[in-house]
Amino acid sequence: MSENNGSAIGIQGARKRYKPIVGAPQRDAVQGVDISVASGTIHGLLGPNGAGKTTTIKMLLGLVRPTAGEFRILGEDSTRPAGRRHVGFMPEQPYFPQHLRAGQALKLYAQLGGVPKSEIGPRTSRLMERVGLQGREKSTLDAFSRGMLQRLGIAQALINEPAVVVLDEPASGLDPVGQRDIRNLMLELRDSGVTVLLSSHQLSEVEAVCDDVTIMNAGVVAAEGDLDTLLNAEGRTSIRARGLEGGLPPQVQGLATDVAVSGGVSVFSVADEAVRAVIDAVDDTGGRIVAVMPVRDSLEDYFARLLANTSGEVDVR
Amino acid sequence: MMSRIYPIARAVVADSLRRKVVYVVVLFAALLAFAIPFLPDYGLGVQEAVFREVALALAFVTAIVVTLSLAANRVPGEAERRTVYNVVAKGVSRWEYLVGTWGGIFLVAGAAVAAFTLIEQVIGFINYGVMMWVLWEGALAIWLEMGVIAALAVAASAVAGPVVVVTLTLAVLFVGHSRSTLLGGEGALAFRPFFPSLDAFNVVNPVAHGGGVPLEYLAGMIGVFVGFTGLALIVGGTLFGRRDL
Repeated sequence: MSENNGSAIGIQGARKRYKPIVGAPQRDAVQGVDISVASGTIHGLLGPNGAGKTTTIKMLLGLVRPTAGEFRILGEDSTRPAGRRHVGFMPEQPYFPQHLRAGQALKLYAQLGGVPKSEIGPRTSRLMERVGLQGREKSTLDAFSRGMLQRLGIAQALINEPAVVVLDEPASGLDPVGQRDIRNLMLELRDSGVTVLLSSHQLSEVEAVCDDVTIMNAGVVAAEGDLDTLLNAEGRTSIRARGLEGGLPPQVQGLATDVAVSGGVSVFSVADEAVRAVIDAVDDTGGRIVAVMPVRDSLEDYFARLLANTSGEVDVR
Repeated sequence: MMSRIYPIARAVVADSLRRKVVYVVVLFAALLAFAIPFLPDYGLGVQEAVFREVALALAFVTAIVVTLSLAANRVPGEAERRTVYNVVAKGVSRWEYLVGTWGGIFLVAGAAVAAFTLIEQVIGFINYGVMMWVLWEGALAIWLEMGVIAALAVAASAVAGPVVVVTLTLAVLFVGHSRSTLLGGEGALAFRPFFPSLDAFNVVNPVAHGGGVPLEYLAGMIGVFVGFTGLALIVGGTLFGRRDL
């Protein structure tokens, strides 16, 4: 199994143009999208509705024919069936043949995924337990709630022990405990060397588990990188200190911004390069440093700002 | 390849057997079969032949209803409900998915035809005291024709909805059995070799009134089945492969 420069997933120049009904303008749902997902990481794919996330994933998995672009998983062309044999995919709101029992469904997907016959039973039991559906193997799927189907969707994605897992809104329809379980599962997968591509609207989920993100808007990549870099606001550090009732030391006053005092705790931010000097100055005036941390946007704020800045860049032809 | 086609076919069989339509159609046809000996113009001396002829017609209609009810909405339904995503994303080729689907429907159609033929045989034995083994030759012909029909329906359903599929399939069925009518004139005779005829599967005369179907003819019938089915599945696989899901 070859890999491509350490990338488990590589998408280059992805483009999908839908042929219009006669007279309507042509529209690129996705254009010029490049995504690289390093092996053994969790990569978030974010974007508002209609951003092109699902179309990109569908092109990657051979569900939609790309107009242009190269799609590779573990170095193999994933638009061909053979290139998808080591992939697990859970679509948004997974559906299953309703007549099947949960155990039968997993057996079917195990067979399709090439799982050896002797391993299907034990693996099915293990996965059912892992997604919290133990004891439900014989239940027919028409009796499953949406959350249970979601859990089974994750189990079917993992049944062939894939090296790459693509999850489209995995926590959708799950209660808070279920969402936490999914987060833990993704972290476990990463720890075991599995690469996860996570498409999600739940920014808290993405922020909690993803190493890197690609943010799409209007069919193009609006931003990409590791979360710490993306969310670190202009190289500033937040400092919390006690014992500064008389105000900030004079040598700090010129450096600090966003100063707030509450309950005897002074909070202010300074440039990263001034942190050492500011801490010394606080110490010298009898103050006590409580916390020093990089100023970091919330992903929600960053996301909203980015979309506001990139709106209007929709390529409609 | 077979390791992926077989589970799909088996899932189609399991799904089909849980639907009531197969049992209802076979049961209804069986009730009609019991009524055959009571037909008003049942000619003295030809009762057995007439029974076989009507029984074959009933088996044909039963098989058509079962096949189309299973085939017309199978692929469109799976695409709409997105159950096909899990299959294709597992590295299954789209043509493997289509062939597996066809295989499952073909097996269920065969089981329905076999069940009905068995019922006909029992009715024939009860009424006439003879085991009409020749009915199984007719059943084979019907089953093979249903294989062609199922392949055509599955191929069409790769790009069309159930209404179009049923209409198209019935049209092909009608045209396929109308070569003599449509190309009966002398001027049209030259087109006969190119006509997509399904008449090869019409064995009513040898089964109902003759001494059965010769082995060579059965072999030729299987050849026609393989040719038409293969062509339909190749076209269907190509169309489905080009479709966005």
